Amino acid sequence: MGCYCSTSKKTEAQGYEEPTVLASVTPCEYHDPSLNVTVSEVEALHELYKKLSNSIIEDGLIHREEFQLALFRNKNKKNLFADRIFDLFDLKRNGVIEFGEFVRSLGVFHPNAALEDKITFAFRLYDLRQTGFIEREELKEMVLALLHESDLELSDDMIETIVDKTFSDADINGDGRIDQDEWKAFVSKHPSLIKNMTLPYLKDITLAFPSFVTGTDIEESEM
Amino acid sequence: MDNKATILMQKYEVGHFLGQGNFAKVYHARNLKTGQSVAIKVFNKESVIKVGMKEQLKREISLMRLVRHPNIVQLHEVMASKTKIYFAMEMVKGGELFYKVSRGRLREDVARKYFQQLIDAVGHCHSRGVCHRDLKPENLLVDENGDLKVTDFGLSALVESRENDGLLHTICGTPAYVAPEVIKKKGYDGAKADIWSCGVILFVLLAGFLPFNDKNLMQMYKKIIKADFKFPHWFSSDVKMLLYRILDPNPKTRIGIAKIVQSRWFRKGYVQLEAFQLPPLSPRNAKDISDVQAAFASSSDSDSDGSPMSNKEDSPMKLYRFNAFDLISISSGFDLSGLFEDNQNGRQLARFTTRKPPSTIVSMLEEIAQIDGRFKILKKNGVVRLEEYKAGINGQLTIDAEIFEVTSSFHVVEVTKIAGNTLEYWKFWDQYLKPSLNEMVWVWQRYEQQQ
Repeated sequence: MGCYCSTSKKTEAQGYEEPTVLASVTPCEYHDPSLNVTVSEVEALHELYKKLSNSIIEDGLIHREEFQLALFRNKNKKNLFADRIFDLFDLKRNGVIEFGEFVRSLGVFHPNAALEDKITFAFRLYDLRQTGFIEREELKEMVLALLHESDLELSDDMIETIVDKTFSDADINGDGRIDQDEWKAFVSKHPSLIKNMTLPYLKDITLAFPSFVTGTDIEESEM
Repeated sequence: MDNKATILMQKYEVGHFLGQGNFAKVYHARNLKTGQSVAIKVFNKESVIKVGMKEQLKREISLMRLVRHPNIVQLHEVMASKTKIYFAMEMVKGGELFYKVSRGRLREDVARKYFQQLIDAVGHCHSRGVCHRDLKPENLLVDENGDLKVTDFGLSALVESRENDGLLHTICGTPAYVAPEVIKKKGYDGAKADIWSCGVILFVLLAGFLPFNDKNLMQMYKKIIKADFKFPHWFSSDVKMLLYRILDPNPKTRIGIAKIVQSRWFRKGYVQLEAFQLPPLSPRNAKDISDVQAAFASSSDSDSDGSPMSNKEDSPMKLYRFNAFDLISISSGFDLSGLFEDNQNGRQLARFTTRKPPSTIVSMLEEIAQIDGRFKILKKNGVVRLEEYKAGINGQLTIDAEIFEVTSSFHVVEVTKIAGNTLEYWKFWDQYLKPSLNEMVWVWQRYEQQQ
């Protein structure tokens, strides 16, 4: 297979992996969701990755500030949810997102990704303390974070009512926390909860970087 | 119908005349989109809707739009013009049960099957709050499989006012199936009256003639009120026992559906149907019954090409209730589309929170739509749609505003362009939408800058 080679670089950035390897990786090998992107999409993502990873610190890795800058155009803007996404993308837990991690994690957001994987990713996102459950206090913390982010003020009673109502609907066995099965059932009843888990742009990304599509000599593998 | 050539509401191609029922004409028609054959039943609107009956009629027809039962003719759609109301109904190809009986009485086992299906259908509707009030063989159709189909559930209020005119209109339909309490006109329970009518029908199926009949109408009424009838000699003792309890002139002691089903005569060969469930009525997945709402709007607001979604009536909207996870998901931290700064295909989405009641938002949108008469307003559950009357080069500009309830005093509104030219949208947004919405906004959560 052809080898990707940038004429402007003498050595590959740390974290770079062969596009064909990433496009063909199997879930059981890495315990990750199936990759749902093609080779040319991986190449286009690499261009995006390079832009993000060198925006503040030119080391070829995405740091938290660079992630925040990309999302909010403001490297100092804190956001609980963006932090949670960063933590989940950082598969190796080493404080940076490498290219392979970036591609694998974004794969869940592809329109063709399995619904099961989207539901699981959302569950892990909301499980703030990684206990394997969504606890009531975690949910309340997230509601408060959203209200703060939006400069909204609701009374404590109102917040308790919203959280209580949601828990009474979602917590089927009444043990005071939501497990993965309850979460799956709840999402089935309210599919809009995972609409953020799909990025239509991932289907169009090759259109945004035409030079890489026309430049590639690798045949797209079939999904 | 004659004036509109052969196309109804841009949806149905109307074919040949099928017949004249009670004050309604029935035509064969074909759905232009699906090719499905339907029966279109046409009523004159204002002259038949009795004052005070409108809300009950609307409620019952709305329920019938949702009912599914193998022995009930499906009501597909309701449409209206200024003067007429149209019902698009399932086409039943076997003919009327009346035709079979007019050729002589049925065998007991055949009559029992039809009666079982009739009671199943009537019980199903009663359990959902819909009565028929006009049960008689002409409303009992038989499909190509030989199964019964009851038609015109929920439509009786359309003809009630005529019956109240007195005796002059009995030519079109015999009152022989009417319950005693209906004749007495002191108010009655529609469900109990339906049971009486089922009893008369059963008698006719088995006997081949009416239990209460007289050339003199007043004499017929007297017989009905007193339940003065005689069984022919060939009636079995079991069916006699059942009919005595159904044709009880006192509605309070008359047998009910549950006891009918338990009776020995009824149970022979009876196969209980699985319970049919009403579909859930939550806003996001409810079956569309907005055509019923539109059809019963004030006639002065309707026009002859009115869309089933048109409804300027200020009825309470059914909003999707945000749960805590819905609330969290609107965080900008969850929106990864910002990673793709060159995106050209994103939805045109604006979102804000508001303390104003939904009715204020809706009124403001209606005012904007009326500017230059540019947009048609359509409302469905929590969605208000602005649809341009004239199609531009890129199609009609269509904008949805969806209102979500978080608490009774706190709502989230999302405004989205779903069709049409983007530049036209942003022009409209900057000039009309955003300035008006600003008055409603508590906090702008998000809106896209023009690109």
